Order: sequence, then structure tokens, then C-alpha cells
Amino acid sequence: MAMHIGQAPGFSQMLSDGARYYSGLDETVVRSIEAVRELTRIVSTSYGPKGLNKMVVTHLGKMFITNDAATIIKELENEHPAVKLIIMASEMQEREIGDGTNFVLVFAGALLDQAEELLRMGISVPEITDGYELALGKALEFLDEVVCGTVTNVHDREQVQRAIKASITSKQNGTDEFLSKLITDACIALLPEKGKTFSVDNVRVIKIMGSGILASHVMNGMVFKRDIEGDVKKAADAKIAVYSCAVDINQTETKGTVLIKSAEELLQYSNREEDLLEKQIKAIAESGVKVVVSGGKMGDLALHFINKYKLLAVRLMSKFDIRRVANTVGAIVLSTLVPPTADVQGHCDLVYLDEIGDTSVVVFKQEKKEGAISTIVLRGATENSMDDVERAIDDGVNNFKAITKDNRLLPGAGATEVELSRLLTQYADTRPGLEQYAIKKFGAALDTFPKILAENAGVKAVEVLAKLHAAHLEGMKNIGFNIEEDAEAAIDAEKAGILDLYLTKASALRLAVGAAITLLRVNKIVMAKQAGGPKPPKQGAQDEDD
Amino acid sequence: MAPAPIFLAFASGDNDVRGKQLVISNINACQIVADAVRTTLGPRGMDKMMVDSNGKAVISNDGATIMKLLDVVHPAGKMLVDIAKSQDAEVGDGTTSVVLFAAEFLKQVKNFIEEGVHPQVIIKSFRKATELAVEKIKELAIKVRKDDVAGLRSVLERCASTTLSSKLLSANRDFFSKMAVDAVMVLDELLPLDMIGIKKITGGNLEDSLLVSGVAFKKAFSYAGFQMQPKHFKNPLISILNIELELKSEKENAEIRVENVEEYQKIVDAEWQILYDKLQSIHDSGAKVVLSKLPIGDVATQWFADRDMFCAGRIPIDDLKRIQKSCGGSMQTSAQKLTKEVLGTCGDFEERQVGGERYNFFTECPLTKACTLVLRGGTEQFIDEMERSLHDAIMIVRRALKHDAVVAGGGAIEMELSKYLRDFARTIPGKQQLIISAYARALECIPRQLCDNAGFDSTNILNELRQKHAQGAKWFGINVFTEGIADNYAACIWEPSLVKINALTAASEACCQILSVDELIKHSKGGNEYEAPDALPGRGRGRPG
Repeated sequence: MAMHIGQAPGFSQMLSDGARYYSGLDETVVRSIEAVRELTRIVSTSYGPKGLNKMVVTHLGKMFITNDAATIIKELENEHPAVKLIIMASEMQEREIGDGTNFVLVFAGALLDQAEELLRMGISVPEITDGYELALGKALEFLDEVVCGTVTNVHDREQVQRAIKASITSKQNGTDEFLSKLITDACIALLPEKGKTFSVDNVRVIKIMGSGILASHVMNGMVFKRDIEGDVKKAADAKIAVYSCAVDINQTETKGTVLIKSAEELLQYSNREEDLLEKQIKAIAESGVKVVVSGGKMGDLALHFINKYKLLAVRLMSKFDIRRVANTVGAIVLSTLVPPTADVQGHCDLVYLDEIGDTSVVVFKQEKKEGAISTIVLRGATENSMDDVERAIDDGVNNFKAITKDNRLLPGAGATEVELSRLLTQYADTRPGLEQYAIKKFGAALDTFPKILAENAGVKAVEVLAKLHAAHLEGMKNIGFNIEEDAEAAIDAEKAGILDLYLTKASALRLAVGAAITLLRVNKIVMAKQAGGPKPPKQGAQDEDD
Repeated sequence: MAPAPIFLAFASGDNDVRGKQLVISNINACQIVADAVRTTLGPRGMDKMMVDSNGKAVISNDGATIMKLLDVVHPAGKMLVDIAKSQDAEVGDGTTSVVLFAAEFLKQVKNFIEEGVHPQVIIKSFRKATELAVEKIKELAIKVRKDDVAGLRSVLERCASTTLSSKLLSANRDFFSKMAVDAVMVLDELLPLDMIGIKKITGGNLEDSLLVSGVAFKKAFSYAGFQMQPKHFKNPLISILNIELELKSEKENAEIRVENVEEYQKIVDAEWQILYDKLQSIHDSGAKVVLSKLPIGDVATQWFADRDMFCAGRIPIDDLKRIQKSCGGSMQTSAQKLTKEVLGTCGDFEERQVGGERYNFFTECPLTKACTLVLRGGTEQFIDEMERSLHDAIMIVRRALKHDAVVAGGGAIEMELSKYLRDFARTIPGKQQLIISAYARALECIPRQLCDNAGFDSTNILNELRQKHAQGAKWFGINVFTEGIADNYAACIWEPSLVKINALTAASEACCQILSVDELIKHSKGGNEYEAPDALPGRGRGRPG
């Protein structure tokens, strides 16, 4: 009997049940582009100073009100693979630079939009991607020409504030002046000598409800929302011992029982235990320490002796906080309750209990000019507004870090994009192949930014764009869109102090183009059926800031 | 447009609203939330009764309390709850005003939004207006001279009295404002709120409430032998302990192994001995009154009774802290080495009957950095509301003491700010003019609501007020008691300027945020279950739109 060979099954039949399969330009690229368009539609209205906020309510009922693209997309719970790709690029930007996430999303979206038109014209995918890559290389070259200034001295408040202000303006329009000053103060206060890197983690933000944003201030040192354990509430010019262990009677880890053989032993047992603890705490006090910080619990008995020897005791719950305090005061964290020697003791000019609003806070304040950690005490009327300002501060601090890496500045307000677009269009004309079209579209994609800025401000985008291009053609390469009303639509961004960082823009361009090209090159999508059951809980960082 | 439901999360289909519609629907939601507290404002405001799911009734006219109990789920409505809380935290009073301000600001700009004014323009103008208003308040505010003790006191009393006039205690406000000021004056310079204890005893008359400049707390649970103890001392030494005075195992994980009966008896004796040693050491220190956070057993109670000492166990830690603050001494966790230095003292200790309860009073204390308010009143709800009212009054006194500037209440400051901003608006061109005028108009919501709640003709009274303010009488406000207008500064209706500054800042911040939202993205609850993902988004077939 001849073996019966059935017809080869279709590709989709080879896949397990529930798997989905898409192929061909229409089903993959074009659809992906549409999905991405949905995403950019949401975030592009948040772009720029006149961008509006989004309210995101997670399934846990937590509410975010923000125009920070990184936060919005994080909470979007997106499922679409193409969109995921773009989001990943944006997340990369968040990690690398910490700002400009919206730029990546919008630009990648714009590139894809333009690519769709090219596809319709009949240009093949490789031609588009080649063109885009070429354009990117050129754009990065041109970017050097567009540079309009540098931050010559990162210790100079004025220069730094000027450089980071635009980034804050696009998030907290109205309080930008005040916030950028806060950030500048906080960052410069702890900028180390040359040769050392600036760590973003050293600018802390503590949010205390009440009053308004304008009541926020910077403090050199640390602030914790905690109470002081003991009776001593203030210590000036104090030596500090930091323990990661509990300050209490030692407990054995192994299960053990104390064996008592006679009545005398029983009588003396607790006395001896008390004496032992007293001796330990006395030794700490005698080493000159006035403040004890502990990561574990402070027993009643220990507290009794702490009060007796007039020590100020602070208990911190997070081991990250312990590390930061140790950093601030220059102490070494001790893991057992031993009296600290001089070299592991820290020093703080003032430790005290304060009341901000009706929240008790413990303040570790350093008087000296350069500290290890500075804290921005953020006030605000609602939790959401404080959260959003905190995000703006984060971005500002990240910008500062970027400045310490690369101090070149670009004109903002869409000026850079228009200039690049102009140069690229010129360049495209010199290319003989079909990639010419792609390069031109790349330029058109860059024009999206001034357009969005204008649209968000409620101004006719096309007119603005025309005006800007005309100005740039005349060689005024710093002309950008003026967001303020009742004024000329065109403004010299450099003179107006609207500046972007070179590093942010260069990285954003690279990431956006990378993501767009990857998406374009896809021609088949296979999605396996999602495994059932609840998703495993996300492994979040122990500390909300890490 | 139908108002968005506020007590439900989202009606279906609400998710698709975006842009202008969303802003307007949020504004509407805020109006509804504000309506819940609107009628509580002012001396003629009415209280609200709320019954929670356990059937517990709360009667209150405190904005923050009502907002908290409302359990608002609407995201925009929640912001109003937030600002009420923030006002409560920062100032302690004016929680209703802040909600009303926010709602009114939004209401006034609703038209502009509908007409297509860009929210950012409104936000910018609001920030500007708030800045101007706050500066104006600072300029108008009248400084209190701290060195003038009698003057300061009268100012504080008036501030407290203004707050109380809009609360349950309105009729007795002179009595209670004195009490609140007395209580705050006792405190040290940090003015810690927890050093004012508030005890509630049902029964008796409102005016039977008293301020103990010292500490009072309810008699603790006691064992046999307690009756024998003396209940009244002059200048006793007080020992504050954190020790259990009872027979107990010395160490949780200790084990005793004995070989014979004699040895066993010795161990039993030793346990008693440990307790007696502790008691003896306390007695030897000279203490007459023994207070402990932990229980004091019957053996100890009788032992102390034999030696004419008073003891009380299981005293709440807050009370003990107050004792420490007013009588001195420090809490001891070990009975070893009890010395005289760690003991506190007071001039007079007595156990007295108050209403149906026995209370321990510690008065004439040497440090007196703490005090206790003993509140009396008919029903539990009534006393609870009394406590909240007094809390507000105390907070106001504290704030007035810290930031020593006051303005006239009763709508006077709002009218003056409104006039100032209106005048200012006329000097600027552009859309800002309209919006700042709207802001100015919104400020009038407080005097208007005061009138409405009192049943006056608000239009009439507001017109009179506007006229007065235009003529330069900057402190004219509503006099609720004569149904007319009066110089409220002369009438001593004063509020700390901080209350108004914070209320305006918080309200405008919340408004700006509500206005700035143009899209709502909401995930359904319980999203961690597996749901078959729909087909890829996008309408397919490669054609946009």
C-alpha cells in the first residue's frame, strides 16, 4: 500500500492552536504603523509647553496626571508588538538620558507615517530603510553645525539654569523658572570636583502635602518623613553612628533556650541582660556619638538607655535610606552594635525634628557648601501634582547629568528640527537613487515637531511651518516657534533661552530611527497564544527610587 | 451634557471622552463634589450626617471630614478631596472654602473652555492671578505684635472665635475660643499638637467642659486593693514606667531544670523575689504615684496600697508622654537604679468623678508643657463634632501664632481681592484679562455662599459690598447676625492670613491640574486575569481612518 502523503498544511495550521499569524506588507507593516499612530496620537498632544496632561488610572485605581511620555506609556499596558518596539526605544532613552522620551515616540511615529506614503508610492522597504539610515547619519553630522552654544562652566548657576529650563518648561509650564532654579541649586550643591561623575540618585525629592509648589525648597542634607524615637529631638554639630542592625538586646538566630539551674541565676538573669545593653549603649555614647541611626527596631529597653545617655535616635525603614544617610554624614554602616571608632563615625551639623505642614520630619542638615546629597522638599496641594512635579525634577536632574557629559546646546522650540529638515532636503537632491525620497520624507518627519508645537498651542501649523522655513532659508538658523501668544510666531530660540541638549536630541534621533527601521523590516508576525493564568507579579525594586 | 457620576467609578462609555469634552466633564464632576459641602459654609451653614457601611453615624460640618467620608472615586473629584486634605494638613481650617474656591474657579472658566480657549492660557492666567492675590493678602494682612502679650491674646481669641462661629460651638464660641487659646499657650515653642489631650465624656453641659493645665486621663482598669490606695496627693513624686508589674516569666525562651523539691521551691520564691525587688526599688525611690504603660497586677496593687502609694497600669502612651512633658521625669524600662532624677512631680494629684467616669487629674505641674481638654456634651456624635471644631480652632491659633498676620473674615478679604484683581485685569490686554476677571468673580463665591446659607439676598448684599470696596472700605464683609454688611475688621472677625493664602494656592493648583488633562486612560479593575487580547488595534486593511 502506497503511503498516503497529504497535502502540506498551510503555515497557520502548523502553529499550535490560538496562535496568530500575519504576513505581507498590508497585514504587518501597514497595520503596525496604524497601531503606532494610535500611540503617538495620545502622546503628541502632550508634547511641548502647551501640551496637555493625560490622566491615567491603573487597574489598581492609582491615578497619574502627567504629560511625561515615559510615565504615560509605562501605564498604558500595551499589548501590540509593534507599539512595544517603539515603547522600548523610548524606554531606552529614559534610561540613557532620562529626558526626551516623547521626542522618540513622536519622531518614530512620524517616520513611520512618512514611510507609509512611500510604500504607497511603490518604494520598497529596503530603499526606505536605507534612505532613513543615510539621513540619520547626515542628520547627526548636521547636528554639529546647528549647535548654538555650550555650557562652559557647570558650576555656573545661570548657565545651567538656562540650559535645563526648556526641558522643565515643557513639563511644568508656569512654574518652570522656579523649578529650574531649585534643580540647579540642588545639583550644583553636590557637584563633585572634576573627574568624578554626578549621580542622579543623590538628588532626593521628598513630597509633603500642603501649601503650594512655590513653597518648595532645597536643603543640603537629607529629610525623612519620620519621627525621632527618643526624647532628644535636636543635636547640633553631632557625630553620628549608623547601624544596619536593630538596637536592642541581642537575639539569637538559632532557636535556643536559656538554661537556668538555680534560683540565684534566675534572680540575676534580667539584671545582667540589662547591664549588658547599658554597657553597649554607654560605650556608644562615650565614643562621642550624639546621634544613632538604625535600620532595625529600637527596643524599649534600648530606648530607655538611649534617653538616659541623651542620644538622639532615628530609625529608618529602608536600607537604601540607611546607605544614603551614611553617605550624607560620611559614616560607615556598622552591622553589629559595637561602639564606633572615629573613622566610621559620621558628622552632621544639625539633626533635628521639624514640622512641615503637619508632617513630622527628621532633618539631617549639612552646613558646608558641598554636600554628598541634597534634598528638594516638594510641597503641593495634591498628591498627583506633586508626583508630576517630581517627574519634572527627575528629568531636570537627568538633564543636568547630561550637561556634565556633553555641554553642547541646540536651539529649541523646533528650530533644530526645521534646520535639520532644511539641510536634509538639500542633501536629498544630491542623491541619485530612490533613497532620495526617503531622505526627503525624513526631513518631513522632522517638521512634525514645530507642527505639533503649533497645534498644541492652537495656532495654524502650516502657516507656522512656512514662516519658520522661510526664516531658516535666510540663514537664521535659530528661529523657532514662539509658544507665547500675542507675539510674533517666530522667535530666536537661542536669544530667548529655549535650549535643548545635544546629547538628548542625538540619542533620541538614533533611537527613533532604529525603532522605525526595525519595524519596517518586519514582514511576518507570529504571535503564540498567551499562556493562561495570572501574570506573575512584577519584580519591583525594593526602593521606589531605585 | 450629563454630569459625570461621582460616586461610581466610570459609567461605561465615559472612557472615550477626550479633549474639550473631558475637561468639561471633569469640571462638572467637581461641581457635584463641591455641592456636597457647599451648604456647610459659614455661621449659618448646615451640618451633614453621614452613615458609613457599619452603620456608624457622623455629623459634621467640617469640609475635610465630609470629603474624606464621601469616598469619591471620580479622578477629578478626588483632587478636590486631596486639596481639602492638604488644607487640613497645612492650616487645619478653611477646608470647605478651598473646595468651593476650586469648584468656582472651574465653573467660571467652563465657558471659555467651551468657546475653545486653550487650557494652558487659562492655567497661565490662573497662576498669575493667584500670585497677585497672595501678594495682595500679604500686603493687606495686619501684623500681630508678638511682644504685646495682651494684644496677641485677644487676636488669637478672635481668630479662634471666627473659626468656631461657623461650627457647632457657635453659641459658646467665647467660652471655647478662650479655652483653645489657653491650651495652645501652654505648649512649648514647637507647639506640638499631640501635647493637647482631648478627652470626651458624654453627659453634662457644654460649658462643663474644662481645660486642665496638666494631664487628665480616665481611671485605668484596676485590681483588688485599689480602693485602699489614697486618691489624693500634694506634691507627689511620679514614676513613669514601661514595666509589667506582675509575676511573669523573665525570659521567653528560658528553661529551668531542677533536681529536687527544695530547689524548685527556691525558684518559685525567686520569681516572687524579682517582683518584690522591683516594687521595693520603686518605693525606695520615693515615688508616690506609679504609672505604667504595661499592666500592674493585683499583687503589686495591694503592695502599693499597703504603703500608701497610688498606681495605675495600662495607661495609653500618649497620656504618659503628656505626663512626662508637664511633670518631668522620664520613662523607665528597668526598675534597676531608679533614682529621684528620673521621677516627675506635680503640685496636685487627684482622682475625681467627672460625669459617669472616674478621672485622674495631674495639675499644678512644674513644667506644664501639656494640657488636656475635657469635653462634655449630650451625645457621642455631638462630642465628636465638638472635638473636630476645637481641633480646627486649636490649629488656627497655632497657625496664627506661627505666622502672625490676620485678615478680616466674613467674605471681606475675598471681596477686596476680587476688586483688586478686577482692577488689575483691566490694565492688561489679551485673553488674560477675561480669565483674571473670571478668577476675580469666582472669589465672590465665598461671600455669596455665606449669604445663601444664611438665607439672605446674596445679589443685594454683594452689590452693597462691591460698592463699599470700590469706595475703599477694604474690610467690609457680611455680618450674618444683622443680615447686612459691616466692617469685619472692627467687628473682630479675623482669620490668619495663612488660611486664605493656602486655600487660594491649593485651589488654583488643583484647577490648573484638572484643566490640563485632555485624555483619560483607564484600565479596568482586576486586569491581571488573562483576557484574550482583541485583534490587533487598528481598523485593518491598511487604510488609515
